[in-house]
Amino acid sequence: MLRINNLYAGYDKLQILFDLNIEAPGKGITVIVGPNGAGKTTLLCSIMGIAKVFSGEILYEDLPIKGELTHNLARKGISYVPQMGNVFAELSVMDNLKMAGYLMPGEEAKIKAESMTDIFPVLKKFINRKAGTLSGGERRMLAIAMGLMKNPKLMLLDELSTDLAPIIAEKVMMEVSRLRDELGITILMVEQMAKRALEIGDTAYLMVSGEVRFTGKADDLLHETELCSMYLGIKPEEQDIASIEESSLEGSE
Amino acid sequence: MTTENGLKSNLKEFITRKEVPVIVIILALLTYLLTSRGVPIILTIFIDFAVFAIITMSLNLETGYAGVPQFGRVAAVIAGAFAVGAIPGRILARFMDLPYGLDYASDTINFRVVPEINALLASSWLLSIGFLLFSLVIAAIAGAAIGWLISRPAIRLKEAYLGISLLAFGDFLMWVGHNWSGMVGGSVPIYVPDPFRIFAVDRFTVIVLVIFVAAFMVFIYMNRLARSPFGRSMRMIRDNDVSAAAAGIDVVKVRTQSLVIGSAVAAIAGGLYVIYTGTCTAFGFQKLTWTFWPWAFMMLGGIGSTFGVLLGVFLLSILRSMIVIFRYQWFGFLLEIGIDPLWLEFTLLGVVIIGVILFMPHGLVPEKIEPMLPRRNVRRVLERKNLAGEK
Amino acid sequence: MAPWLASGLIYSSGLALTAGSITMIYITTRTFNFAVASMATFGFYISYTGVELYGGAPYQYYPFVFLFGSFLGIICYFGLNRHLLRRKAAEITLMMSTLGYDLLLLSFIQMYADFLTHTYRLFPRRVTMNVYDFELFGIRAAAIILPLIAIAILIILHIFLTRTKFGVAMRATIENPVLSGASGINSDSVYLVAWVIGGGMAALGGSFMAMAMTGTPVMGMYTIPLMFAGAILGGLGSLYGGMLGGFLIGITEYAGVFTLSQQFGPWVQGYRMAIPLILMAATLILFPRGLAGIPLGKLVGKLTATKRGENT
Repeated sequence: MLRINNLYAGYDKLQILFDLNIEAPGKGITVIVGPNGAGKTTLLCSIMGIAKVFSGEILYEDLPIKGELTHNLARKGISYVPQMGNVFAELSVMDNLKMAGYLMPGEEAKIKAESMTDIFPVLKKFINRKAGTLSGGERRMLAIAMGLMKNPKLMLLDELSTDLAPIIAEKVMMEVSRLRDELGITILMVEQMAKRALEIGDTAYLMVSGEVRFTGKADDLLHETELCSMYLGIKPEEQDIASIEESSLEGSE
Repeated sequence: MTTENGLKSNLKEFITRKEVPVIVIILALLTYLLTSRGVPIILTIFIDFAVFAIITMSLNLETGYAGVPQFGRVAAVIAGAFAVGAIPGRILARFMDLPYGLDYASDTINFRVVPEINALLASSWLLSIGFLLFSLVIAAIAGAAIGWLISRPAIRLKEAYLGISLLAFGDFLMWVGHNWSGMVGGSVPIYVPDPFRIFAVDRFTVIVLVIFVAAFMVFIYMNRLARSPFGRSMRMIRDNDVSAAAAGIDVVKVRTQSLVIGSAVAAIAGGLYVIYTGTCTAFGFQKLTWTFWPWAFMMLGGIGSTFGVLLGVFLLSILRSMIVIFRYQWFGFLLEIGIDPLWLEFTLLGVVIIGVILFMPHGLVPEKIEPMLPRRNVRRVLERKNLAGEK
Repeated sequence: MAPWLASGLIYSSGLALTAGSITMIYITTRTFNFAVASMATFGFYISYTGVELYGGAPYQYYPFVFLFGSFLGIICYFGLNRHLLRRKAAEITLMMSTLGYDLLLLSFIQMYADFLTHTYRLFPRRVTMNVYDFELFGIRAAAIILPLIAIAILIILHIFLTRTKFGVAMRATIENPVLSGASGINSDSVYLVAWVIGGGMAALGGSFMAMAMTGTPVMGMYTIPLMFAGAILGGLGSLYGGMLGGFLIGITEYAGVFTLSQQFGPWVQGYRMAIPLILMAATLILFPRGLAGIPLGKLVGKLTATKRGENT
C-alpha cells in the first residue's frame, strides 16, 4: 500500500530523517514508535508533502507520490490526522466535518457527516458549537471523524492518544482496530502509548533519532525487552503481564 | 602553528576583500577629480552615489543588522535636511542682524537673506569650515532625535506593524515640512547657506570630495560596528529576539540604539544633500526616492553586508542616473506616444526589487558570518594559550 | 447633511474597502500588500477614463473597476506571490515583493496618464471626480451610494464566507493551512480568490476615495499609510475588523479636521494625516491586537451561533 525507500527528509536545511525504509501493508495497522524527537511526526509530514524530502522514494499503491501537493494526496485517498491543530477551531463541528468531506458533493458530505455523528455520538450534542470550545477528548474524536469523512484508503494517525484520559484513549484504540477490521482501512500510526498501540498493531517500526532501529511484527517488538525498556519505557514486569494476558486471551480463544 | 597561519591568511583575505577595493576606487576618483575639472553629469552621478551610499548603509544598519524593517528612512533624511535648512542659517542671520525668526523662511525675505550669509561665508575659511561642521552636527542631532522619537511608540511592535508605523511617520514628517512654512518654507523652496562658496569654480568638485570622504568614513564605521559587541547583539536580535533576550541582551535598548545611530547617519546624508543642492523643500523628500530606492540598493547588494550594499548602490545608482540623464536619447520613441520616459525610473525600481526577490534573494554579496571575536583577539588568546602550554 | 460629513462618508467607504483588501490578503497569504496603493489609483483611473470617454456617472463603471483590480491581483499572485509562498518566504520579503509590484504599477499609471493627455487631450493629473456626480435627495449621490456599496460588499462577503462551501474552505485555510490541505482544499485556489477579491476591493476603494479627494497618479502612494492604519486598527485578524478600521480612520480624519479647523483655523487641514495616525498609535498602545482585541467578534460569533442553533 505505502512503501518508503531510503528516505532522507527534514525542514529547510535541517535534516531529520536518515535512510528510512518503511512499508505499510494493505488493510493492516502499522505502528511507528520511538522516543521524543525520533522524527515520527516528520515522517508523516514528509509523506503528506509538508516537510521537505531531500532524497528517497515514497510509493503509494506502487505510484511515486514524492513532491505531490498535500491537497492532491488527499484526493488520492490518504487521510492525515495531525497531532496538533487537527480541527478548525473557528468553525462549527458540522462545518469541520463538511470541510473534511470537501472533495465529495455537498449532499454526500452531509449524509456522511450524519453517519459520523452516529459513530461518535458525543459530536451530535455539539454539532453547532465551534470546535475550539470542545474538550481535548472531544476534539480528538472530531479529528478522527474528520479523518474518516474522507473515505480514506490510507490513514496517517499522529499520536491519537495524546491529551486523552486513559479510558478514552483505550476507546480510541479500539476504534482504530475496528477501522481496520470492519472498514478495511490501511493505517499508519505514530504512537506514544507504545504498548497499547503495539498490541493492536500488525507491523511495527522503532524509530530512534531519525533512523529505524527495529522492523518486524508488532508482537515481536513487544518481546524485545531491551529495546522496549530503553526507548519505550515499557518495563519488563509490565511486559510479562502483557504476554500473560495475551496468552490467556489466546487460550480463551 | 598551522591554525595561526590560517588565521593570518584569513586576516589578509578579510582586508583585501572588504576595504582595499573601496580605498582603491576612492583614490582613483580623487585623482580623477583633482586632475580634471570634472564633467557635471559625471559629478552628479558621483554625488548621487555617495549620498545614497551613506543612506543605504544607515538603512542596512537598521534593517540588515538589527532587523528593524525601516520603511521610513525618509524621516531621518528629512530631519537632517530640515535641520540644516532651518537652523545654521538662522544662527548666522541672528549675528548679522538679519531676520532670523519665522520670517527667515518666508519667500519674500529668504532669497535676500541667504546671499548675504553666503557672502560672509565666502570671506572666511574658518567660518566656512565651522559652518559645514556645525551643520552636520546639527543634522546628526536632529536625526538621532527623530530616530529616538520614532522608536518610542513603535519599537515594541511586531515586524510588519513596525514597518508600517515607520512608513507613516516618514510621510507625516514630509507633510509637516510642506505645511509649516515657518520652518523650511513649506511649498516654496528655501535657500540653504553654502559653505562651499569659497571655492568658487571648484565648488562642485570639492563637494563631491567631501561627500565621498563622509561616505568612506561611514563605511569604515559600519564595518567596525558590525564586528563590535553592539553589532553582534544587533544580529542576535535580528536572528532571534527571544534567545537574544535570554542571553541577557536588552532587545528594546539595542533596537532603539540602532535606530538612533542609523537615523543620525542618514540625517548627515540629508544635510549634505541640501548643502549640495543649495535649496531645501519638503516635497523634494519623497519616500519613493529616499526610502524605496535605498531599499532596492540594499536588496540588490545583499542585506546585512556593508560591502555588498556599497556595490548595490554603485551599480544601481549609476544605472538610475543614466536612465534619468539619457532618457530622451534612449527612450525617445516613448515620447512619440506622449509618454515621458522619466517614469522608467520607477519601472526600473520595481523590476529590480522584484527581480532580486525572485532570482537573487541574498543579493550580490550575501552576508558573511562574522566570527564572534575579531580574529586578532582570537589569535592573541591562542598565543597566550600556547605560551601557557609551553610553560 | 453637512458637506464634511458627506465627503467623510465617501472617503471612509473607500478606506474601508482598501483596508479590507489589505486584511483579506494578509490573513490568507501573510502578505502586507503595498500594491493596494497602485491598485486603488488604477481603480480611480478606470472610472475616470469611463466617464471621460463614454460619459455617464462613475458608478456604472464600478464593475469594470472591480474586474480590473482583480486582474491586477491575479497577476501579482501568479507572477510573484505564489512563488514566494511556495518558498515559504519571510513576511518582510512578501511585503517587499508587493512594493516592487506597486512601483511597477505606479510607473504604468504615470505612463497611462501621459497617454490620456497625449491621445485624448485630457488632464488626468488633477481630477475632481465630484463634477461627474449628481444629487440625490438634496445631497451628493456618492454620499449615499458609496457607503451602501461598501455595506453590500461586506454583506456579500459575509454570506460568501459563512454560507458557501468555498467560503468556509477559505476560512479553514486561513486558520489551518496544513489541515485544510490534508482535507483536499487547494490552498492555491484559496489564495488566488483572496487576491481576486482583494484586488477588486482595492481598486473599488480607490475609485471611491477619488470622489472625495483630488485624483492624481500618486493618490494611492500618499494614502497608503492610512489604508494600512485602517487595517492595523482592525487588528489584521478579521475582514470585518479591517473594513471597520478603515472606516473609522477615514471618518475620524474628516470629523477631526472639521472640528479642529473650526477651533484653530484652516491651517489644521495641512496636518490632517496626524489624526488617523494618532488614532492608530493609541489603538496599538491600548489594544496591541487592534479592534480585534476588543471581543466584539466573539459577541457577534456567539449571536450567529445561537441563531443557527435555533434553526436546526
